[in-house]
Amino acid sequence: MPPSVHIRVGIDILAVERVSRLLRENDGIEDEVFTPRELDYCRGRSRPDEHLAARFAAKEAVLKVIGTGLSRRLRWTDVEILRDRAGRPEVQLHGRLAAFAGTQGITDIDVSLSHSGGLAVAQAAAICDSGGGGASCAST
Amino acid sequence: MSMTESELHGAVQAAVVGALGVSEDEASPDATLMDDLGAESIDLLDILFRIEKSTGVKIQASDLGDYMQGGIPDDEFSDANEMITEKGLEHLKTVMPQIDTAALAGSLNANDVIKLFTVSNLGDMVARRAGGAA
Repeated sequence: MPPSVHIRVGIDILAVERVSRLLRENDGIEDEVFTPRELDYCRGRSRPDEHLAARFAAKEAVLKVIGTGLSRRLRWTDVEILRDRAGRPEVQLHGRLAAFAGTQGITDIDVSLSHSGGLAVAQAAAICDSGGGGASCAST
Repeated sequence: MSMTESELHGAVQAAVVGALGVSEDEASPDATLMDDLGAESIDLLDILFRIEKSTGVKIQASDLGDYMQGGIPDDEFSDANEMITEKGLEHLKTVMPQIDTAALAGSLNANDVIKLFTVSNLGDMVARRAGGAA
């Protein structure tokens, strides 16, 4: 019998202008929310705020799909959105979040980003091996 | 000149009103930020930076979890099923005095703790930080 695998999804949508305003008005917010690699990538694009907003949405979508919130002493930078060699966005988890995802039986997370019309949206999908003892995955 | 506790609570309420676009009545001390007022992550970020600007008290998102957990190790704060332990509830009562620990015993998931966090609870946290505690 094949192992029991579940797919969980999370989604988030943001107004790009809101992220732009927060970045513009608050010194230090970029380093609190984004990793150096994320900032390097986005600043190299023609409309960096759209890419930053999409990454913020992706971080929130990933937090939703893992099933945790900010209760877990998490940092925004524990979710990092990078690009693979083919240009597809990929998720890297760090610190406490990576450990917590492992306890939940999450074996992989995929994410898709888009931005248009002043909005940025991201959807995350997690593959959960409920045979791995992941209580959260098993309950969905 | 340092702000009084009442002024700090007022600053927190103003930050919530400004970030969420709700009325002062809606942003009452007892209102929970997420469930009652609908705050999402970006809203919390906005609220915390507004508080820093108006009070000088810096709180990062990760500090909220630290404050609620109070230094209790993860495996003592919640059990293997992610439910908050008796020890965890005892601490939560000190930072969220409005909660009914008897009613929540054995049924409060660690991921849901932040949903119980109110405007007043955040004001208390800011006041403690301003006073050099917590």
